[in-house]
Amino acid sequence: MKPFATIRSGGAASWAIRIVVGVLVVYLMFWIPTSASNGVIDSCITALTLMAAAMSLNLLLGYTGQISIGHSAFYGIGAYTTGILVSRYGWSPFQTFTFAFVLAFVVGALVSLPALRIKGVYLALVTLALGLVFPQLVKAKKLVWLTGGARGLDKTGFRFTKANPTYEIFGWNPWGSLRGENIKPFLYWIAMIIVIIVYLACRGVVKSRVGRSLVAIRDNDTAAAVMGVNLAVTKGIVFGLSAALCSLPGCMSAIRTGNVTPDSTNITIQGSITFLIVMVVGGAGSLWGPIVGSALFVFITERTGDWSDPKQIPGILRPFFDWSHTPPGSGIFAVMLIALMFVAPFGIVGMWRRIVVRFVRVIPKPAGTGTLAPMAAAPVEA
Amino acid sequence: MTMLNARGLSAGYGPVTVLHDIDMELHEGEIVVILGANGAGKTTTMRAISGTIPRHGAVEFDGHDVSKMSPDAIVRLGVAQVPQGRGTFPELSVADNLRAGAITRRDGAAAIAADADRWYQQFPRLAERREQRAGSLSGGEQQMLAIARALMSRPRLLLCDEPSLGLAPLITQELFGVIERLNKEEGLSVLLVEQNANLAMHMAHRVYLLETGRIVASGSAAELSADDTIRKAYLGF
Amino acid sequence: MELFLQRLFDGLSQGSVYALIALGLVIIYRGTGHLNFAQGEMALFCTYVVYQCGEWGISIGFALIIGMATGFVLGSITEVTLIRPIAKKSPFAVFIVTLGLFQFLNWIDGAIWKDQPLPNSGVGSKQQSFPSLFPNKDTDFVNVFGAAIKKQSIGVFLLVLVLTGLLFLLFNYTKLGLAMRAVASNAESAKLVGIRTNMVLMMSWGIAAAIGALGGVVFAGINHNVNLGLMFTVFIYASAAATLGGFDSPGGAVLGGLIIGVVENLAAGYADQWVGQELKVGVALVVILAVLLVKPSGLFGTEKVERV
Repeated sequence: MKPFATIRSGGAASWAIRIVVGVLVVYLMFWIPTSASNGVIDSCITALTLMAAAMSLNLLLGYTGQISIGHSAFYGIGAYTTGILVSRYGWSPFQTFTFAFVLAFVVGALVSLPALRIKGVYLALVTLALGLVFPQLVKAKKLVWLTGGARGLDKTGFRFTKANPTYEIFGWNPWGSLRGENIKPFLYWIAMIIVIIVYLACRGVVKSRVGRSLVAIRDNDTAAAVMGVNLAVTKGIVFGLSAALCSLPGCMSAIRTGNVTPDSTNITIQGSITFLIVMVVGGAGSLWGPIVGSALFVFITERTGDWSDPKQIPGILRPFFDWSHTPPGSGIFAVMLIALMFVAPFGIVGMWRRIVVRFVRVIPKPAGTGTLAPMAAAPVEA
Repeated sequence: MTMLNARGLSAGYGPVTVLHDIDMELHEGEIVVILGANGAGKTTTMRAISGTIPRHGAVEFDGHDVSKMSPDAIVRLGVAQVPQGRGTFPELSVADNLRAGAITRRDGAAAIAADADRWYQQFPRLAERREQRAGSLSGGEQQMLAIARALMSRPRLLLCDEPSLGLAPLITQELFGVIERLNKEEGLSVLLVEQNANLAMHMAHRVYLLETGRIVASGSAAELSADDTIRKAYLGF
Repeated sequence: MELFLQRLFDGLSQGSVYALIALGLVIIYRGTGHLNFAQGEMALFCTYVVYQCGEWGISIGFALIIGMATGFVLGSITEVTLIRPIAKKSPFAVFIVTLGLFQFLNWIDGAIWKDQPLPNSGVGSKQQSFPSLFPNKDTDFVNVFGAAIKKQSIGVFLLVLVLTGLLFLLFNYTKLGLAMRAVASNAESAKLVGIRTNMVLMMSWGIAAAIGALGGVVFAGINHNVNLGLMFTVFIYASAAATLGGFDSPGGAVLGGLIIGVVENLAAGYADQWVGQELKVGVALVVILAVLLVKPSGLFGTEKVERV
C-alpha cells in the first residue's frame, strides 16, 4: 500500500507532530489535578505508580531480554525503606527516595550476579522466588522490630503538623490545598514526577551506547560478548538500575496510603505479574508501551471493579459476565494478553506502529546519528 | 517404474529461495546420486522431498502426492531419511535409537528385534555399544547408527544426506559398500546426496548435477563421466 | 528421634506434592523446552473440579479420575491451541502466554467458585473444605519407632512412588514413552523416523496436567481445603525441585521434590528462630540459586554445551 504521507525524521513535519503531542500530554498532565474529580485523580495516581514500575521492568525485559517476575520485591524495598525511615526515624518522605534508590540498586545488582550465569527460564525462576520471599522476609520474627511483621508499618505518609505553604505559582495552585482531605493533587504530582524521572532514565539508557549494547545482549549475548560488550558490567548496571527505578513507585505507595504491610498491593508476587502483564500488553521494548498498558489496566480494572454484582454490568455485556462472582478485570486482561501475543507480540504500541506505517512513511535519520530504530518498526519495508 | 517423481520443486528458508524449479525422478531399485558443490542446494533438495521445510511444486512417491504431507507421514509411506549431521538421538541408547527407527512398524516386537540383530551383525561396533548413549559414539559409529536406524523402518526408499561428511575414507567406503549391497540384494532404492563425486559415481545408476539450486546436467554415471566439460567443471577428475 | 521421623514424613508427603507438580514441569520441558508457568494453576482448576464433584456427591476416588481426565483434556487443548502456534514465534511469547493462562485460570476459578482472585495474603478468602484421599483424622496415626506418623503422609508418599514407577514403565517400555524420549532428545530427527511429534507433545502436556491434577488433589487433601492461593507456593517449590533434579530428568524431579520437602520441614522445625514458617519459601530460593550457581544442569540433568 502506498503511504499517504512521508515524514522525514528530524524534519519540520516530525517536529510539528512532536510539539502537538507534547502540548497535548502537558495539557492533560495539568488538566487532571486541577479540574478532574478526586476519583479520577486517584485512578491516575494508581496508573502512574503502575507505569513507573512497568517502565522499570521494561528497561530490563524489553531491552535485555531478561525476564524478572520479582520486581514486586524491589517495589517492596522502596515501600519499606520509606515506611521504616519515615515512621521509625522521622525522616521526611522526600529524603527517603534517594536512600531507597541506592538500596534497591545494590540489591538488584547483587541479584544480577547469578543472572550472569543463569538465563531465560532459570532467571525467571530465581526472580520469582525472590518476589515470593520478600513479603515473607518482612514478616520474619527476627525483623519485627524493623518491619512491624505481618501488621506492617503505619504513619508512613506526610504529616502536616504546621500550617503548610500553598505552593502557588503566580497565584495559581495546581495541586490544591495540602491540608485536610485534598492531598490528592499533591500526591498526583509526586507520582507524575517519578514517572517522568523513570521515563527519562529509561530513555537515556535506551538511546545511548549502553542501549545499543543492551539490544545486542538481548538478541544474542554470546555474539555481544564476542563483539566486546562487557556482559557482566552491563547486565549488572541495568538490573540494578531497573530495580532502583522500580523502588521509586514503591516509596510513592508508602507515602500515598500512609501504611505498608507485607500484603499491600504490588508488594506481593501478584504485583510482579501485574507489572509484566501491563508492560507486555502495552508493548515490550517500546518506551510508551508500559504507559499505555498501565493506563488501560487501571481503566479496565476500575471500570469492572463492581461487576461481581450483575446489576452493575452494562446491559450489552451482561450475558458474558453475569455468571462471574468476581470482578472480571484480571480475566479480561489475561485474555487480552494471550490474544495480543498471537496478533501483536509487541503489544498495543507495536500494533499502532504497524498500522501507522501503512499510512505515514517515516524516513529515519541517516545511520550513525544515534537514534535507535524501534524494534516494532522493523517489518516496515520488508 | 518411477518411484519418486518431483516436478517443478522449489524450496528455501524464509524469504530466501534456494531451490529453483527442479525436476527429478527415481525408479524403483535405483541408486540416484545428487552431486554439487557447497551451497548448491543438495541438502535443501533432501529436505524438500522429506517434507522438513516448506516447498512448492509436485512431489509424488509411489503414486501418492506427498508435497503437502508432514515428514512423519512421508516416513510412514516408506521413505526413510538419514539427515545431514547424522541426527541420532544423543541421549538415547543405541538400542533405543534402533527401536525409535522402527516406531512406525506394526509387525510386532519380535520382528523388530530380529531386524535390530541383523544390523548389529552388519555393524558389529554398534552391537558392542548397544547400551551406550548414542551421543558418546564416534562420528563414524553415529553415521552407521543413523543408517541402521533409518533401515529399521524397512523403507522402500532411503534418502541419505552426505554420509561421508567428516568420516575417514575407509569408513566411508565401508558405508557405501553396505548401501550398495542393500540395493543389489534387497532392491532398496537410494537417493544419495554427495560432495565426494569420485566415490559416489562408482555406485550410482544415475546422477543429477546441481548448481545454485538448478539441475545443470543429468544422466547415467557413465554418460556424465564421459562428458569432458562436465567432468572438468563439476566432477574434478 | 520421634520428632525427626515425624518431620521427615511430613516433609516427604509435602515433597510428594512438589514432586508431582515438578514431574509435570519436567515432562513439558523435555518435550518443548518451555517452562509451563500455569502448571500449578492448571492443577488448581482440576482440584476445583474434583471439589465440585464432591459437592455433587461423587466419591473422592471417582472424582479424582474425573479431575485427572479434566487435566489431560485441559493440557492437550492448551498445547494444541495456544502453545503450538505461538512456539514458532519465540520462547518469550510462550512464557507470556503461560503467564496469561495462569492469570486467566486463577480468575476463572474465582469466578466460578466464588473466591477472590489471588488475595494479597496468598490464600483465598474463601477456603472450601476438601476431602482427603487418605485417612486424615486426628486419630489416624501409625506408630513407627515411637513416632506417630500420619497415615496420610504414608499414603501420599506411597502414591508418588507408585506413580513414579508407572511413569518409569511408560517412558522405558512403551512406544509412546520411546517417542517422548526421542522428541525430547532431537525433535527434528523424531519427525524423520515417523514419530507424530505433534501428537507426542499434545500427550506430554495432557499427561503433565493430569499428574498436576493429582498433585493438587493430594495437596488440597493435606490442607483440608481448596482456595485460590493453594498452588502458588507449590509451584515455586516444584520449580526448585525440577531445578535441583535437572529440568530434563523425571527421576530427578521426584527426588528433588522429596529432598526439598524434607529440607523445608527440617529447616522450619529445627532452625525455627531463623527460618520459621515465614521463611520456608526462602528454602526454595536458596536451593534454586545454589544449584544454578554450582551445577546449572541439576543433579541428574544432561549438560548442554553452548558453542560460539
